[in-house]
Amino acid sequence: MTILVVGEIQKGSVREASYELITLAKKIGGDVKGLIIGSGCAAEAEAFAKKGAGMVYLADDPALANYNVDGWTRAIKAAVAASGATTVLISNTPSGWDCASRVAAGLDAGFVSDAFDFADGAFVRRVFNGKLDARVVSSAKLTVATVQPGACKPFEGTADGKIEKLAVDVAGLKAKFVETKVAAAKGHDLTKAEIIVSGGRGVGAPEKFAEVIQPLADALGGQMGASRPVVDAGWLPHEYQVGSSGQIVTPKLYLACGISGAIQHLVGMKGANFIIAINKDPDAPIFEVAQLGVVGDLFEIVPKLTAAVKAAKGA
Amino acid sequence: MKILVCLKQVPHQDARLDIASDGAWIKEDGIKFEINSYDSFALEEALRLKDAGTATEVIVASIGPERVTQALRTALGMGADRAVHVKDPAMDGSDALGISRTLAAVAKSVSADAVFMGLMSDDSNASAVGPMIGELLGVPSASGVVKEEKTATGFKVERELEGGALEVVEITSPCVLAVQTGLNQVRYASLKGIMAAKKKPIDVKTAADLGLAGQVGASAAKVKIQKVYAPPKGTGAQILKGSADEVVTGLVGKIKELGLL
Repeated sequence: MTILVVGEIQKGSVREASYELITLAKKIGGDVKGLIIGSGCAAEAEAFAKKGAGMVYLADDPALANYNVDGWTRAIKAAVAASGATTVLISNTPSGWDCASRVAAGLDAGFVSDAFDFADGAFVRRVFNGKLDARVVSSAKLTVATVQPGACKPFEGTADGKIEKLAVDVAGLKAKFVETKVAAAKGHDLTKAEIIVSGGRGVGAPEKFAEVIQPLADALGGQMGASRPVVDAGWLPHEYQVGSSGQIVTPKLYLACGISGAIQHLVGMKGANFIIAINKDPDAPIFEVAQLGVVGDLFEIVPKLTAAVKAAKGA
Repeated sequence: MKILVCLKQVPHQDARLDIASDGAWIKEDGIKFEINSYDSFALEEALRLKDAGTATEVIVASIGPERVTQALRTALGMGADRAVHVKDPAMDGSDALGISRTLAAVAKSVSADAVFMGLMSDDSNASAVGPMIGELLGVPSASGVVKEEKTATGFKVERELEGGALEVVEITSPCVLAVQTGLNQVRYASLKGIMAAKKKPIDVKTAADLGLAGQVGASAAKVKIQKVYAPPKGTGAQILKGSADEVVTGLVGKIKELGLL
C-alpha cells in the first residue's frame, strides 16, 4: 500500500506539518512517497526525501511558484497516478483545505477532513467545534485525508532520498495568484504579554468586554484578548483575536472567560504556561487544555476576581 | 449574475448534544436548528451583491427533511429570491461527495454563475463541499474568503491564511466561493421581508429529479462515521468547587502561587 504525503513549503523550507504527515503515514502503514510542488524547489524536495519522505515527486514549474488551487489539484492528481497511492495525506492548512477535497472529488475518492489520528482502521477527527470526537472509516479504493497540523509529532529520521520529476500540465490555470498581504502589527501585540484575559462568545455583548473583561486584565496588569466569534461579530477588532488566524500567544497566565475552546482558538493559546478557564458548560473543550477551571457564571466570578486581585495588590 | 447559495441547517450552537442510539451521530429530536453560521455569511455576501446590482438573482438551496423549510424561509425573508429544497430520504447517509454531487446538480439546474457557501459547517467542520462542487462543475474555487470583488472575468478574492495574512487571488467565473466567518455583518430578516418570503417559491426536488439516483445516500457513500463520542477526558483541568467567593479565593491563591500577584 502506498501513501502519498503532500509537503508544503513555507518561508523557503518544507514546514513541520509536512513531517507530521510522515509520522501518520507510518502509523497507517505502507510505503511512503512524497510530493513537493513549487518552482526552483529541488533542494526542498531533496530535504523532504532525505528526512523521511523517501521518494519524492517534484512538480517544479514557474506557474507553481505560489499556491494555486488549479495547479495544486492537477499536480496532486498526477502524483497519485504516478505513485499508485491508495491514501493521500495533506496538511489541513489554508492550502490543504482549499484543494484536498477537490482532488478527492476529481478522483472519486473517499475524503476525510482534519484527522488528528488513525487507529483501528479509522481516522479520528473532531466535530461540533471540538465538543465530540468521531471515528470515520473510508471504504474507497483511494482515500484523501487532510491532517490537523500539530496533531502528530514530526517524523525524525532519515530515508534514501530520491527525486522523480513529475510533469504537470499547467496550461490554462483557472486561478491566478496576485499577492500575499502580511498582517500589519496594529499595536495590540499579545505575543509578548505575560498575562492575557480573553473573552469569548459567552461574554454576550460588546460593552461587557469593557465592563467585565478589561477590568480584570487591568487589575492583573495584563492584556485583553478574544476568540474568533467575538471578532466576527464586530465586538472587538481583529488585533484582539487569539487563534490560528489571529495571534499565537505564550503568556505565563491565560484566563479564558466564556470561551468554549474550538481547536482554532486552542492552537493560539495552548502554549501558555498556565491556563484558567471559566465557562458555564462543564463539557466545554477548553477544560481539556486548562489546568484550573471554574464551571460557573463569568458575570458572577470575574467581577469578584477583579475585586479580589485589587485587594491582594493593596489597591 | 445568478448566485446559488448553499445552506446547511445544523443543530443550534448551544443545543444539547446527546449521542443517538446507534452511536453514529447525535439525537436530532427535540433540539433547535439554525442555518450554519458560515453559510449565513455567504448568503449575506450574495445579498449585498444583489443590493449593489451586481447579482440579478440569489437562489438558496438546502438538503434535508421538512425542518429545512424553516431555514429556507429565513433566507427568503432576508432577501433571497427563490429556494430549492432537496427533500428525499434517499439522501440520508450521504458523504461529502454525495452532498456535493447534489448541490452541483442544483447549480446546473438553475444555471448558477457563482456558487457561494460557508467554508465549513458548524457540525461536521469538514471544509469539504465547496471545493468539491467546484471540481464536479469543472470550475475554480476559493476557500476561506474574507473579501470578494467581481471582475470582468470572474472574482478577485482575499483568502485567509495563518496568522492574519491574506492571499489575493483571481479566479475565473463560473466559480465557487467558500467563505470565512466575519467577512460581513449578517442582516436580520425584516418583518416586510418575512411576509414577502411566504409568497416566494420553494422548489422541492428528489435525488431522482436531479438525475442522481444511486449516486447519493448511504449506499453510495464511501466514507461513514462509525461513531461519535465525548472526547476522552485526559488530565484536564482541576475544577474548583464551592461558592463564588470560595472559588475566587482559590483562583487568587493560584495566581499568587504563580508569582503573578
